[in-house]
Amino acid sequence: MNYMPGTASLIEDIDKKHLVLLRDGRTLIGFLRSIDQFANLVLHQTVERIHVGKKYGDIPRGIFVVRGENVVLLGEIDLEKESDTPLQQVSIEEILEEQRVEQQTRLEAEKLKVQALKDREKEVQTEEVRGSQS
Amino acid sequence: MLPLNPIVVILHKEPQETKARRYQRILEEHLGLQSLVFEDISYESSLEDCPLDEDEDAFQGLGEEDEEIDQFNDDTFGSGAVDDDWQEAHERLAELEEKLPAAVNEQTGNGERDEMDLLGDHEENLAERLSKMVIENELEDPAIMTAVQTRPVLQPQPGSLNSSIWDGSEVLRRIRGPLLAQEMPAVSVLEYALPQRTPQAPEDDRDLSERALPRRSTSPVIGSPPVRAVPIGTPPKQMAVPSFNQQILCPKPVHVRPPMPPRYPAPYGERMSPNQLCSVPNSSLLGHPFPPSVPPVLSPLQRAQLLGGAQLQPGRMSPSQFARVPGFVGSPLAAAMNPKLLQGRVGQMLPPAPGFRAFFSAPPPATPPPPQQHPPGPGPHLQNLRSQAPMFRPDTTHLHPQHRRLLHQRQQQNRNQHRNLNGAGDRGSHRSSHHDHLRKDPYANLMLQREKDWVSKIQMMQLQSTDPYLDDFYYQNYFEKLEKLSAAEEVQGDGPKKERTKLITPQVAKLEHTYKPVQFEGSLGKLTVSSVNNPRKMIDAVVTSRSEDDETKEKQVRDKRRKTLVIIEKTYSLLLDVEDYERRYLLSLEEERPALMEERKHKICSMYDNLRGKLPGQERPSDDHFVQIMCIRKGKRMVARILPFLSTEQAADILMTTARSLPFLIKKDAQDEVLPCLLSPFSLLVYHLPSVTVTSLLQQLMNLPQSAAAPAPSNPHLTAVLQNKFGLSLLLVVLSRGEDLQSSDPAAESTQNNQWTEVMFTATQELLRIPQAALAKPLSIPTNLVSLFSRYVDRQKLNLLETKLQLVQGIR
Repeated sequence: MNYMPGTASLIEDIDKKHLVLLRDGRTLIGFLRSIDQFANLVLHQTVERIHVGKKYGDIPRGIFVVRGENVVLLGEIDLEKESDTPLQQVSIEEILEEQRVEQQTRLEAEKLKVQALKDREKEVQTEEVRGSQS
Repeated sequence: MLPLNPIVVILHKEPQETKARRYQRILEEHLGLQSLVFEDISYESSLEDCPLDEDEDAFQGLGEEDEEIDQFNDDTFGSGAVDDDWQEAHERLAELEEKLPAAVNEQTGNGERDEMDLLGDHEENLAERLSKMVIENELEDPAIMTAVQTRPVLQPQPGSLNSSIWDGSEVLRRIRGPLLAQEMPAVSVLEYALPQRTPQAPEDDRDLSERALPRRSTSPVIGSPPVRAVPIGTPPKQMAVPSFNQQILCPKPVHVRPPMPPRYPAPYGERMSPNQLCSVPNSSLLGHPFPPSVPPVLSPLQRAQLLGGAQLQPGRMSPSQFARVPGFVGSPLAAAMNPKLLQGRVGQMLPPAPGFRAFFSAPPPATPPPPQQHPPGPGPHLQNLRSQAPMFRPDTTHLHPQHRRLLHQRQQQNRNQHRNLNGAGDRGSHRSSHHDHLRKDPYANLMLQREKDWVSKIQMMQLQSTDPYLDDFYYQNYFEKLEKLSAAEEVQGDGPKKERTKLITPQVAKLEHTYKPVQFEGSLGKLTVSSVNNPRKMIDAVVTSRSEDDETKEKQVRDKRRKTLVIIEKTYSLLLDVEDYERRYLLSLEEERPALMEERKHKICSMYDNLRGKLPGQERPSDDHFVQIMCIRKGKRMVARILPFLSTEQAADILMTTARSLPFLIKKDAQDEVLPCLLSPFSLLVYHLPSVTVTSLLQQLMNLPQSAAAPAPSNPHLTAVLQNKFGLSLLLVVLSRGEDLQSSDPAAESTQNNQWTEVMFTATQELLRIPQAALAKPLSIPTNLVSLFSRYVDRQKLNLLETKLQLVQGIR
């Protein structure tokens, strides 16, 4: 039967495999077992999937209860097409390592940017001073 | 107040009584088991009402008992005490207990606990019997089921029962109140538990132990999820049948607060938790969120029929079944008829339904009884409903007659799919794979059907609205558009229409609430009590306008821009109102319409005034106001939307102003690039303009000198116009219109003609001068330009013009 056609209701999605993206950036994949009016979710046989580049790793997590406000988006996974991915699955340790490396490079780039901006700020200040003096 | 030891009394009364009989009597006395046969009792019970006459003075009765007490009775001190095989006696009594019918429901006494203590070594047996009674009571409300799940009730386990026993009695005490009013279900735990096992037998691949919940050692908190007597996912013993006679699944009626449906049948499916079967209609457990369901029993044949009917997924069928029924009302109505009438009729249909499940409109698919029988079936009862329906205003129903047909077809499809489940068709195979998944998934349907319904009910309640067109404008419009499209398609072809089920949102009557602030008696004046409905002003914000001298140039510019923005917003509101009048016409009564028309005209005038600058003088002194509006992106879009509502004169005025300031506007539009949106309303307008206006318009556009004096060497105005997409397109449109006028009416006034011809000559000269590279690409090229130019220029130049303006197809 068609629950609430034309609306975004999660009832039709129950007992299906879903991919849920959370606000903190985590990606969870699990069977949606229960919902409520706030779109709090109960995920079963959940797996947290970490993506780095073309690789991904799965960490089995069990049962998740997600508070609705923390969900960015979720979508049903087509079980037939699920394996049809160009991504390569790796072990958990490997993916965590990759993630750490990626994090590090990002932090360093961020630092450089901040530094560059500070330098430019100083330049501008000195110019202004020079300009007002001359 | 109980001076006597009742046990002693009993013993005294019938010293020859056997142990078994004694136990029975004890039970009668202390626990009020009225099902037990009361023998000749001449003394009053101290715990509950006695069936004997109560005229007797209680004290006197007690006094009598006093005398009858034999302090040194046989059982304690005599031969009775010697008798040691209490176990035997207990077992016999245990058998007796089982024979007792399960209709026990009397309030237990407060002293129950104490009594049990007093029983001494009989405590455990009694306690066990108590626990059995707790089991039976628990069936009435699954939420209070304790850990007594599937343990074997026949074996006495004296030692180990203690913890659950006391918990059981606690629960019993707690539920004392609510139980009073309830009926006992006819099925006891024993009957109940056993048949469940047989269906599970074939499913050997399931490991039951995996699914069973751990036994709880503490009683459950009320409101927590119900403890299940049988593991989750067990197929139900009985199937619930939707009682068509009673239920129509429609959203709640026109009350501001929709009342809770007292009962509606649980939708059947292949798996239903036994909890659904257990709950009775009036579950009085406080805070229990799920409405109880009643499981009528279906014969296997009926069940098979129902399952064989239109079924999308197991466990999800009945709402669609239900939703079918209301549709029959709509069937006689034609598709594109007066919506008001339709709404009125259908609206009356919808409300009285106690259920809450028609999420889609009129749907009447044929159910298990063959399709031919169906129409007369619900018909009479629908009419009953209609007669019962409360009057409510025929307002915004979302039921369109299409949907009933749409849904009918959909149901047909689903039925076909179900038949083709094992093979044919893509959708069929998809469904079957889905079914397979559900079948193999042992954790499926953890969320009960009624829980799903509960959530949808909440979501539906959130959609309630007194004025859907106001609250949910885009949704309403979108579906209207879709319907118009499909209606148009229907007119054209006879192919099967695309199915689109539509959500019926519950209707709520519009009630005017005027808030009256609380007034206290005897107080001087009115107390200012601030509340949600009556907020108190916290900050006294006063607008002070600064003097003009202080402001810097930038501030002035900024203020002017802000004023323009405000004007745009106000005009936009007027525009939205004006656009809405059409819909209001349809909904209004005859008398109201002239008033509506007046309002509309008035608003259109105000819009125009806003656009041009509200100055009372005859002339519109400056274009500045309008140009300011046109510099803002939203302003341009707004003008494009307003134009169709203006009179030709007013619109022409606007157009002229635009043409005059076109280069400036083009410059300002460089970032937004919104001007082309104006092209379409302008074109429409131009094709209605008279010749004079067109001529002057062309002059304006090309900034041609009024007189026939030699043109300036460069014409930046024209250059700018030609280099802009909008400008060029507009120019071409104007030219085209001129050509139309010329060719259609050669005998027009000569002055006009002359003017036009002059202008055209100059125009062509200018056009010839402009290098091609500078030209923009117009949005559309009118077809009659070649013939236009051919009048005024010779062949060679014509060719040039053609090439330049890409007038001939194929050059591109």
